[in-house]
Amino acid sequence: MDNSILGKFQYVDDLLAAAETCKQSGYAISIISPVPLVHEIEHTFGEGKNPIKYFTGVGAVTGLLFGILFTIITSLLYVLPRAGRPIIAIPPTLLISYETTILFGVLFTLLGFIVLALVPYFKESEYDVEIAIDAFGLRVHGVGEDKFSDIEKVMRENGSSDVKRIEKK
Amino acid sequence: MDRSITYKEATEDISGIITKTGWRYYAILTLMGVSGVSFLFLPWAYQIYAGQGVTGLNAPIFWGLYLVNFIYWVGIAHAGTLISAMLYITHTPWRRAIARGAETMTFFALFLVTLFIFIHMGRPWNFYWTFPYPSQREIWTSFVSPITFDVFAIGTYTTSSIVFLFFGMIPDIASLSHTTTGWRKSLYTFLSFGWRGTDRQWHLQAKACMFFAAFIMPLVVSVHSVVSWDFALSVVPGYAKTIFAPYFVTGALLSGFAGVLLMLSVMREAYPVIKKYVTAYHYDRVTVFVVVLSMIWSYLTLMEVVTGLYANTSQEIEHLKYKLAISPFSYLFALMIFSNSVMPLLYIFKKLRSSFIGRFIIPVFVLVGMWLERFLIVPNSLSRKFLPWMWHDYSPTWVEVSITAGAFFFFISMFMIFIKVFPIIAIFEVKEDIGIPMRKPH
Repeated sequence: MDNSILGKFQYVDDLLAAAETCKQSGYAISIISPVPLVHEIEHTFGEGKNPIKYFTGVGAVTGLLFGILFTIITSLLYVLPRAGRPIIAIPPTLLISYETTILFGVLFTLLGFIVLALVPYFKESEYDVEIAIDAFGLRVHGVGEDKFSDIEKVMRENGSSDVKRIEKK
Repeated sequence: MDRSITYKEATEDISGIITKTGWRYYAILTLMGVSGVSFLFLPWAYQIYAGQGVTGLNAPIFWGLYLVNFIYWVGIAHAGTLISAMLYITHTPWRRAIARGAETMTFFALFLVTLFIFIHMGRPWNFYWTFPYPSQREIWTSFVSPITFDVFAIGTYTTSSIVFLFFGMIPDIASLSHTTTGWRKSLYTFLSFGWRGTDRQWHLQAKACMFFAAFIMPLVVSVHSVVSWDFALSVVPGYAKTIFAPYFVTGALLSGFAGVLLMLSVMREAYPVIKKYVTAYHYDRVTVFVVVLSMIWSYLTLMEVVTGLYANTSQEIEHLKYKLAISPFSYLFALMIFSNSVMPLLYIFKKLRSSFIGRFIIPVFVLVGMWLERFLIVPNSLSRKFLPWMWHDYSPTWVEVSITAGAFFFFISMFMIFIKVFPIIAIFEVKEDIGIPMRKPH
């Protein structure tokens, strides 16, 4: 069971101050927002890892190899002599592999997002109408019963307007 | 953009475009939809029933209006994704209010691109012959054919553009799933894929968008280069030009930017609330691109003619004479130059950039001029091949003209439906533009 606590903030600097305190106390946190706060979060907590680039890289290389092998192998399997032109023609092979590099790169990046961002996800989540419009949420995970009031206090002191407990089985 | 706008106001303004619809909107949509079906699909059905003989296509001119339209719509599709991708990579803030509309334009233009390939085919049910697949005929598609390049290039561009458009919309769709009711809520809940707006998701989303943008930039250049090679890799006078790849790419971008300008202007008139987000500053920025592209296009047009003259072969001279000195093509050429080289220069005057002339008249001229450019290349070059007995004048029939006009109606109706289902301005990006709320602003 993941007992967590969610605080909503109006201002991002308030939220980041509360998040920093909770993180320093050893809690896992997640920040939920209607706009990307990538730069603000990196400024406070440092640059996080983003493994999506590996999906992109693998996709691009796969696409390149697919394009090269696809054109060469199928040209050899289905020989189509055309006015003295070579059976395996380099320029079209490069052109088609250029396109497949991009195609596979895009599709693998999308796959990477789906895998890493854990979507699709259709269960109840803390993303609600306020956060969808103009509120910023701080969720602190793994808060024991005895620590709820401490975390709530940190959030309230930092300007949270609404703090609630979330229990997920 | 006015920084005093609140997040709530931005959400309400943009969702209001989706949810609040007057009778005039439905009337125009119905008119456009009925016109699209009547002018585009009914003549196409007639063409399928009666055969390609109902068109003006005949030996030696087998590439007519349908391929003109194919290239034209590829061009329109160019600027949308390019504006979005290029400005995303360079972190240009004014991109945010116009990118979604531009990407949507790309999406529907690519739909028409595909449609015109099918219309041109004559027997559209055999479309799968263009794909490489094992069959009892033991025939594989020829990889040395530029038509095969098209299948890969346009297929990749369409896929990437769809991913870029819909991926970028997920946060907005999730937001709408909480602010709407009824069927819209169910649709948005499903299409948001459970977006939760966590820092991890935003981080991944930003990175993925950066990769998509980085892939799409070179793809934009490659797609229209490949389309130009349909012509440039042949030996037909008027087609076999080494200058065609940059010429086509520049022309595509010019028509695409003009399309974006016109689309923004029409949207601002239809929904005055958009004026809060798409301002004179946006016109100022986009028109700079139009002027620069127009000047590059003018230079390349001049070079196209000069290289033909410099080659001084009888067939090139005959082709140029047919294009530049014989009515009605000489007038069409003059109109093309006026539309694409002269009219955009008016943007040099700052006051004109966001005036009625700058918002509507100049983009329309550029869009007409760019269509003429394709017309003067595609069927015209085939009219004057090497030997006089192969010479033939091309006259499009009512079927081709009707399908050409119907495509515009269909494009407008599809766009109007999209506006009523998805946010045409990126809500979260506009909020970014407003600024992150801080108790102690930096």
